[in-house]
Amino acid sequence: MISNLRGKLAFTRFRLSTKLMVTYILLTVIPMSLLGYISYRQYTKSIEEQIGEYMPRFLVQADANIEKHMEELSVLPEMLFNSESMVAILRRDAYQSRADLNRDQFEMNSFLNRTYLNGASPDVIGVFLLSKNRVFESTRLSYSGIDWSRAFTDYGQDLELRGSVKVMLPRDVGLRFVDNIPYVLIMKPIEDVDNRRKLGTMFIAVRLNFIRNVLQDLENSDQADMWLMTREGQIIYHTDPELTGTFDPNIDQYPLLSGSFRKESGDGARLVSMHESKELDWVLVHSVPLEALTARTDFVRKVTVLVFIGLVLVSIFMYALFSIRVTNPLKRLNQLMKHVEMGKFNVDLKVQSKDEIGTLAASFNSMVATIRELIQQNYHIEIRQKEAELYALQSQINPHFMYNTLETISMAVEEDEKETVVEMVSLLGRMLRFSVSNKSKFVTITQEVQHVRDYLTIQKFRFEDRLSFDIAESVPSQAGEALYTPNFVLQPIVENAIKYGLEARKGVDIRITVSEEFSARSGKQDLVFRIRDNGPGITAGRLAQLEQAIREDAWSGKDSGFGLSNVNARIVLLHGQDYGVQLHSIEGIGTEVAVRIPVIRAAEVERIEREAKHRATDTNLDRG
Amino acid sequence: MRIGIAALLLVMFVSACQSAGQQNRYEVIYAMDKNEAVASPGQSAHEEEPRKFKIGVVPKLVEIPYFNLVEEGAREAAAQLGAELVYRGPPIADTVQQIRIIEELMVEGVDALAVSANDPEKLLPALMKARQQGIQVITWDSDTYREGRDFFVNMVDDEKLGRHLMDTLAWNTGEKGEFAILTGQQKAATLNEWIKWMKVQQETYYPDMKLVEIAATDDDPQKAYETAKRMLAKYPNLAGLIGNSSVGPPAAAQAVKEAGLTGKVKVVGLSLPNLMAPYLTDGSAQVATLWSPKKLGYLTVVLAVRALAGQPPEDGVMLPNVGIIRVNGDVVVMGDPVDFTKENVNQYDF
Repeated sequence: MISNLRGKLAFTRFRLSTKLMVTYILLTVIPMSLLGYISYRQYTKSIEEQIGEYMPRFLVQADANIEKHMEELSVLPEMLFNSESMVAILRRDAYQSRADLNRDQFEMNSFLNRTYLNGASPDVIGVFLLSKNRVFESTRLSYSGIDWSRAFTDYGQDLELRGSVKVMLPRDVGLRFVDNIPYVLIMKPIEDVDNRRKLGTMFIAVRLNFIRNVLQDLENSDQADMWLMTREGQIIYHTDPELTGTFDPNIDQYPLLSGSFRKESGDGARLVSMHESKELDWVLVHSVPLEALTARTDFVRKVTVLVFIGLVLVSIFMYALFSIRVTNPLKRLNQLMKHVEMGKFNVDLKVQSKDEIGTLAASFNSMVATIRELIQQNYHIEIRQKEAELYALQSQINPHFMYNTLETISMAVEEDEKETVVEMVSLLGRMLRFSVSNKSKFVTITQEVQHVRDYLTIQKFRFEDRLSFDIAESVPSQAGEALYTPNFVLQPIVENAIKYGLEARKGVDIRITVSEEFSARSGKQDLVFRIRDNGPGITAGRLAQLEQAIREDAWSGKDSGFGLSNVNARIVLLHGQDYGVQLHSIEGIGTEVAVRIPVIRAAEVERIEREAKHRATDTNLDRG
Repeated sequence: MRIGIAALLLVMFVSACQSAGQQNRYEVIYAMDKNEAVASPGQSAHEEEPRKFKIGVVPKLVEIPYFNLVEEGAREAAAQLGAELVYRGPPIADTVQQIRIIEELMVEGVDALAVSANDPEKLLPALMKARQQGIQVITWDSDTYREGRDFFVNMVDDEKLGRHLMDTLAWNTGEKGEFAILTGQQKAATLNEWIKWMKVQQETYYPDMKLVEIAATDDDPQKAYETAKRMLAKYPNLAGLIGNSSVGPPAAAQAVKEAGLTGKVKVVGLSLPNLMAPYLTDGSAQVATLWSPKKLGYLTVVLAVRALAGQPPEDGVMLPNVGIIRVNGDVVVMGDPVDFTKENVNQYDF
């Protein structure tokens, strides 16, 4: 269990390609090989079973044939009773002369010759008849190894055979024909059924050709062995002539004598089928090497195994290739990710394919590119914003303005215009306090308007009649709630108007309004500051140029348009492209600058401030 | 690692097909007739208590050579088959006594009754009663009616024997002249059957011959002798005598011999070789015909035992020590009759 779990954990730690291979093997190779193996086993087993089941039946048939033959042979002695005179000879007990005996012997021998050797069956090779101390015989072949006169004591009249046939084997008798021809001896007592006496015993030697014929009918394969043996294991007939007459050493080990079984020994497995003949006490055996049965299957098996191995190798190769193709881009992706993590965005995952991996690579590439762009953009925005804010801070009270103001104050002091001095100093003080105290990016519209009023008032002191201004007092508010604006949006525009207006003309008149307007671009009510002057105006070409400059790049240089573009940039950065500065000018008549901002309430100011702070800390952390 | 797994699998797949062999292992694939295979080593299981059949054999009468020989054969068979034999018959061929013996045997609890019927009709009730008690009833030598027994063991074919007896006489008398028949019991069915066929044969082929009388001897040698003598006196032109039961021919031959008619009156018929040997040798009898009574007794008991064991007689069956039997309906025919003449009579010991 624990090792299993460990194995599982180990598996999860494997490389993807290993997992793919293992999965492939688990899903393909193992089931295929198991399937192949099982089906082959089942197939050979079914062949085995089929033959194992049929062969004993064939053996039954063969046994029946042999039994039939034996039966036919065992009734041969009955032919003796066809001849009255032969029965009379056998019934004779005593002879008056040797000649009488010899005559009977001659007659009987020629009868046996006629009846059995020339007639009955070609397999009969000899007939012996022992009767009352007489031996009648007739053989086809010469023989040796038996003394019939002695056989009387062994197989004489006293044998309690009671008319039944007994089959004797060469080993039992010792009788040998020339060439050691395999034979069996059918022994049958000759009974005088009328007198109820025993007349003698007949032995018929039968060649085993018929068994060979029967067995050949059954099986003519060279690989199969067949033999007929007694239940004690003495082989009566064997398809291998050498073994006829020997003993089967395994007779005691056979698990059954009727049926079939597999025998596994040193020289391979064999399918052995047996049938035991009840009548004759014989066992007919058929033994065939399993390889012979499955020879054809074995060839198929070899081919299958080779094809299978080939397929497995090829498919493993293909699969390895495939998994490399899958995992390689992933590996490279992994490396590139690390690069990206380190902040190196100049990466390109090159994958040619159009599949999921290709798509993934393309997505990765575009993602990195987007991130790169976003970072760049954010970076620039940040810089721009800071720059814009810095500039705004710088130019709120710029040294030039301070110098001019202070000079104006000094002149007023010289002229002893005390009231003017006091007012200017207090205005300047308020402006400075506004600049210093106000760290927020936003101020209320009232404050902003107050600030530009202070500025214009100071300038009015300086330029006297050359400058006139009017600021619409109505400041829009919503439900008594103060509205906010980015700070320092009006002063740069007013500065510009004074600068260009006084350059070209004797006097300039500046009018400022604050109104709430519906904007088609943002689709909402917006706040619009309009700063109108009656200055020289801007030529159409210059106007386009300026507008372009304002939109494109607010910090390209601190030229005349810088103030405008700075305001515009700050508004766009805070509120998006829908807002910003718009120029309307007719040459020789005047210029109107509209500063469009959204309606900003205190809550929004807080939100924007908070976000800005977050961004600042985030950037700091990132940088850290 | 994965190559290792793959290689392992392949090796497993390839090598498993050739499982390593050891010293002679056996695995049974198919066993034929398991019951038989199991029963074969100890076949005694089937015949654990070899039931000893008790067989009653009832001859027509006892103490005549023919039925003594039958008894010998029956005893031989009973000894061989391990059956208990009760051989009991009346001292004279008497139906009443035979019925009594049959009833005795029924009380003694025989499994089979083999009867040579003196009178088919009178024996019938007793035999049917025996059959109702589940006793296997067979007849031998002399039949009863069919409903009285399971089957009849006939020695020879009736027609064949009847015609053959007629022939043996005709050969010796030159197919002409008067003749008489000495039969056993007046009513014995088998004897009458033979007589019927003798008559048929005579009417068919021997128009010059004439049957003058059929006399019953009741298997009594003395009565037979007297009847023969009476006939010889009564029919001076008598050319031949046929003895239809075993006591007839010797009695007739004796009478012929004593009357000095040897060679003039031919004697043929059914009798035992031993009884007939002197007469055949001196010419007072010409041919004796018979079967082996021992064989008949043997066969009867064998068939009785087989029938009790559930094997009714079948045509063409080879019985050891008997030979092939023929069965025609419910009649078993033992074989063909054997003729005994002076040439071969010495070969037989009955």
